[in-house]
Amino acid sequence: MTTTRREWMKVAAVAGGLFSLPPALVGCERAISSVTKEFGQTIPERVSVAGGSEIDPTFHLLSRASYGVWPGDLDRVRAMTAEAWIEEQLAPEKIDDALCDLRARRFETLHHEPGTCYEYKKPVLREEITRHTLLRAVYSRRQLFEVMVGFWTDHLNINLEKGDSIYLKPYDDRSVIRAHALGKFRDLIRASALSPAMLVYLDGKENRKAGPEDIPNENYARELLELHTLGVSGGYTQADVYEVARCLTGWRLRTKWRKGTVYFEPASHDDGEKSVLGHRIPAGGGERDLDRVVEIVCDHPSTARHIAAKLAQKLVSDQPPVTLVERAAKVFTETGGDIKAMLREVLHSGEFKASRGLKFKRPFHFIASCLRATGADTHAHKPLIEYLLRMGQAPFQHPTPDGYPDEATPWLGTLLWRWNFALAIAANQIPSVQVEPQRLINAIGASGPAQLAPHFIGRTGTEAELKALNNYAASQGIDTDERKAEMLGLILASPAFQSY
Amino acid sequence: MSLTTRRGFLRQLTIGHESALPDAGERTLVCVFLRGGADTLNMIAPYGDDRYYKLRPTISIPPPNGNGEAKDAAIRLDDYYAFHPKLRPLSPLFKEGRLGIAQGVGSDNASGSHFEAQDQMEHGESQGRSVAGGWLGRHLRSRAGKKMTPLSAVAIGPTIPESLRGAPSASAMRSLDEIQISVPSNNLLAVSRALSSMYGAEVGLLAAPGRSTLDLLDRVEALRNKPYNAENNAVYPDDDFGAGLREIACLVKARIGVEAACIDLGGWDTHFFQGSTGGLQAEQIDLLARGLAAFDADLNRERDRVTVIVMTEFGRRVYENSSFGTDHGRGFAMMAIGSQINGGKIHGAKPDLIAPGLSVNTESLLGPEGLKIVCDYRSVLAEVLVGVMGNQNLEKVFPAFKFQRVGLASNVYGLSWR
Repeated sequence: MTTTRREWMKVAAVAGGLFSLPPALVGCERAISSVTKEFGQTIPERVSVAGGSEIDPTFHLLSRASYGVWPGDLDRVRAMTAEAWIEEQLAPEKIDDALCDLRARRFETLHHEPGTCYEYKKPVLREEITRHTLLRAVYSRRQLFEVMVGFWTDHLNINLEKGDSIYLKPYDDRSVIRAHALGKFRDLIRASALSPAMLVYLDGKENRKAGPEDIPNENYARELLELHTLGVSGGYTQADVYEVARCLTGWRLRTKWRKGTVYFEPASHDDGEKSVLGHRIPAGGGERDLDRVVEIVCDHPSTARHIAAKLAQKLVSDQPPVTLVERAAKVFTETGGDIKAMLREVLHSGEFKASRGLKFKRPFHFIASCLRATGADTHAHKPLIEYLLRMGQAPFQHPTPDGYPDEATPWLGTLLWRWNFALAIAANQIPSVQVEPQRLINAIGASGPAQLAPHFIGRTGTEAELKALNNYAASQGIDTDERKAEMLGLILASPAFQSY
Repeated sequence: MSLTTRRGFLRQLTIGHESALPDAGERTLVCVFLRGGADTLNMIAPYGDDRYYKLRPTISIPPPNGNGEAKDAAIRLDDYYAFHPKLRPLSPLFKEGRLGIAQGVGSDNASGSHFEAQDQMEHGESQGRSVAGGWLGRHLRSRAGKKMTPLSAVAIGPTIPESLRGAPSASAMRSLDEIQISVPSNNLLAVSRALSSMYGAEVGLLAAPGRSTLDLLDRVEALRNKPYNAENNAVYPDDDFGAGLREIACLVKARIGVEAACIDLGGWDTHFFQGSTGGLQAEQIDLLARGLAAFDADLNRERDRVTVIVMTEFGRRVYENSSFGTDHGRGFAMMAIGSQINGGKIHGAKPDLIAPGLSVNTESLLGPEGLKIVCDYRSVLAEVLVGVMGNQNLEKVFPAFKFQRVGLASNVYGLSWR
């Protein structure tokens, strides 16, 4: 934390002052909103926008490596240089995130051990982890970290609605995804293999060999190879799946004392000799078989390519250039799966710089970027979350282990809901979300759509875009708050804002 | 603004073509995809085969009893097969000859991966051979002589399935009420015009979806204000699947050009405590059967125009695993419902429960494949597309594929058989 003691005293004083008011007048959330605004989580007085007809390179970097440009981000990153910003983002522990913490740390189920989570009702658990995820994406200053949290959440997908997953996912979010999002790939996979939520979601806890007649449950072993590491064409056989499943027999979940924590039960482990991807694993390895499997699959060359390709797809384009994938895979291999090193390779690449505007925002990204671009104030209550459900991308709700698809086509059927969200948020019609269009317009110094649009799309509007918006302005006028809001809504609904 | 003017205006927004209503005699193909690899061996149970009971000591479906009327008893289909008791609502359709079953259907995908197998099946391709678009998308592009409308292909749910990829247009929705722009200021005209102008000028990825969305708004506007009542006392299950089927029925009756409708029912990946006549899988079977039976009753007047197919990505293994479930297998049974379907029987060979290479009594359980495949899934789809939907360009839908006669549909003379 870099917040100085003095600043914290100030926060405490302001917060204390507000909390002392009658709760009926000022709720805790309104206090947080006021405090965070006071300390800069708001629209600055002056905001520069991109000026060229191509997407501004800094805007491009921020669009991909964050959940969108918050008013003023462009000025800040230009001042410090893109290179420095990337390095800053790669050391998230050094970034002061106190203001985001104020909004997002108060969900208590996220801090509990699995056993304690069982004491909560499912709707509470679901609501807290969902709101936490969206609030972090919108307000965290560790934006690249949050983008990678989203990436690994998809990669190691767990659906809250299967079995007891909902009680165990908070621990997984904290000790698997967030603990290793910018760490070493092997640590991430090992943590995931031993994550109670994963053991439930992919039936690992049922994978045992207690007697000669027991046949292993291959569910996790298969997805480990197919989705988490080598990839479906990674060169493994059905026999490898079976052998990996044998290696992973015996990991169980406690059901009473310390409920939901993991232990190894030697009597349920298949302790015979195994052969995984050409490596002999001698009999008698016991719980060490898991480490051996993690090592073998993470060190496999197919894994380097698979992870490099997925990361490039996430950050560059739906069909990432092979040259870039190869280089990123090489970095993976050379650094022992160092995620930060791969990110440096991708974000500094020519392929990345050449990919401006090629990605289509998935619904979560679209909503987060609307909230960020408008500098919105929200605590992510149900009306906002409903839009995510409607567009089909509420966090932790993807049913199957492949995670939400990170490509445009499956999401192209959602335009109408995007238009409706854009119009509603701009008009302050989503309960619990506040935007200030006039304040943004003043900060930009916009007299019309031509000056306003670049803040959202990173370039000047095309002739056709400006014609559509100017015709609207000419026929309706944009002098009232209602018309200004509608203009803002149209920009958020425009084709250009759907891409990034 | 009155509805007529508003609708009239929305119609002006539909760019580039007038929206003529399609032929009144159009047909609709409804594809129900059971996601997760459904264990059809417990749905259409081979009670006439002792091995079925030996391999599934805990989860098998007991044979039909003498009178077959007990609530939990399997329902006899023939001397060999019986319906799972929860399929009872579909039993009259089988007896009337409108529900047919093809046994031992599958793809050549041996990966055992849900995603690979679903992808391949929805794309309508062979393993490792990529064909552009989904099979329904290609069907809609290749079938002759009809106009395309934004509602030609609909998917009930948040996203468009792979099978509709490449369709000239496709819309994903949960219900008709959702299909409208809500402008907080009620300034709909100006906002719609601006959207229309922005998306109309678009040439990239968003051009087609933008225009389809605007066209869809126009057409649904007309439907929305009529209240919908299911006919023949049809009662849909009170869940997303039931609600989705109800929306499809509404669209079919409105005759606004729905040619393909896709709907998913998940929850079939029963590795763990699958259950038998009751339990996890039985709950899904119950939803499926009650949903399809209500759909059939509701659309009684339109039954000559609607065909339903029920598919999954692979069947499950013939033996149960140590957690009283079943792991990924190969072959499965496909169901089809409709007046043009040769129903009342099970097509395809009796299943060879033990696939080549699998010996359940030895230690060698590596790569077991489950139920043997006697018929490629594309042969079944092809019969329906040609025999029911009248597609004359099947080589465009399933290029370089040699079909095999299954028998589910007639009027398939255009097909060249293997």
